[in-house]
Amino acid sequence: MSCAELRTSLQAYVDRELDGVDREVVERHLIECSGCARQVHLQGRFKAAVRAHLRRPALPAGFEQRMRQSLVVQPIAPRRWPWLSYPRLVPALAAAAVLIGVTGTIRQTQSRVLEQAQRSYHAEMPMDITGSDCGSIASWFRGRVDFPVHAPLLGAGATCQGGRLVNVGERPAAYLVYRVQTGHRVALLVFDPQDQPLEAPEHRTINGRQVYVESGPGISTAAYRDRGLGYVVTADLDEGELTRLVTAAFQR
Amino acid sequence: MKRRPVSTDFEQEALPHLSALYAAAMRMTRNEKDAEDLVQDTLLRAYRFFDTFQAGTNCKAWLFRILTNVFCNHYRERERERGAMIEAESSTANLEQFVGGTGDNRDTETALLGRMVSTDVEKALAAVPSDFRMAVILADLEDFSYKEIAEIMDCPAGTVMSRLFRGRKILQNLLHDYAVEQGIIQADASQAPAETVDLAAYRRRREETS
Repeated sequence: MSCAELRTSLQAYVDRELDGVDREVVERHLIECSGCARQVHLQGRFKAAVRAHLRRPALPAGFEQRMRQSLVVQPIAPRRWPWLSYPRLVPALAAAAVLIGVTGTIRQTQSRVLEQAQRSYHAEMPMDITGSDCGSIASWFRGRVDFPVHAPLLGAGATCQGGRLVNVGERPAAYLVYRVQTGHRVALLVFDPQDQPLEAPEHRTINGRQVYVESGPGISTAAYRDRGLGYVVTADLDEGELTRLVTAAFQR
Repeated sequence: MKRRPVSTDFEQEALPHLSALYAAAMRMTRNEKDAEDLVQDTLLRAYRFFDTFQAGTNCKAWLFRILTNVFCNHYRERERERGAMIEAESSTANLEQFVGGTGDNRDTETALLGRMVSTDVEKALAAVPSDFRMAVILADLEDFSYKEIAEIMDCPAGTVMSRLFRGRKILQNLLHDYAVEQGIIQADASQAPAETVDLAAYRRRREETS
């Protein structure tokens, strides 16, 4: 067999991809042909030398920790009111409730799902589907989440940008990104609220519905229930502006 | 829709491959932020579809397949597209210049690759077009077989071989030009092939990646 015919086989030989007859054919040729034998030798050395130069870079500080956190590991859904099963705690909590009543300033820990929505908003992960048509983005989630997804209108001039499949707890959920008229990016998380309390310390009543609001650094989040589904809206807006968007969503 | 399997299984299977995934992500995206996002996105998808992973099969290959997919769909367009000149098939330098002829260690040290620093080799690899670069990373740095690479890159084994072959050639060309530029070796007109790598384009890319 000629050297030209063996060209690709030589590479496969260097990569230890040949066995049986294929390997024998090449090895027989290499005994006879010093030119190809030399090429095989040099290719092997080139591979080894490149590899010696290209070691794996060290992981950035806290990388593994961040990856673990991003998996939102919540193997057991938290019970809504676990302290009710501890009768001795009830008088203490009643006393605390009085205190809250007096000072009115003690903050509870915010709900996990609101926290998750704020983290996702900052992370700006790539979308699974992009496009400006809210309807087709909403229908992309069909079969991917366990509930129908409707993209509410967030005020006049708001357009959809894309969607992304996410997890809330252990269930798949829909994450939609809008661009509203003022140019702000608004994210909407639609999820099955079973086992996932969305209550936050502060709430308002809009069109007869409870809307829980929470402000983080530079962003606000509003959460509400609609037809059995949980919705969390997050944007780099203040609470008043965000509330106006949510009000628009209700007036559909 | 199926419920997700217990997350500890996923952690045990997937997290040992974190440094391999990150290394490949760094070399594909060429910056730390995108690399971290790419790995995170890969893990989240892998976690979501972990019920499709068959226990006992090659988890590393499965994760690399997801990483490649995510890279192609979401990160590749961020690459500054390279000139066609880079796809020179013939090597500017013969292999002997890179690795030395006789085969002992001292010889390798005085040969071209022995005298280059690793950051130069990283930069040369970073300038190889992404499909070829991915093939070289998977075969030469992560020891995947042609068959595994074919599954990871979703292409026939023959395509893997040609990408790998061309990827290594392009890398040789870039290394040679870089060595000439740095004065490590003299340009030899007699060895210059008909097709050469566009040095100006390479410098531009090097500035972008550094």
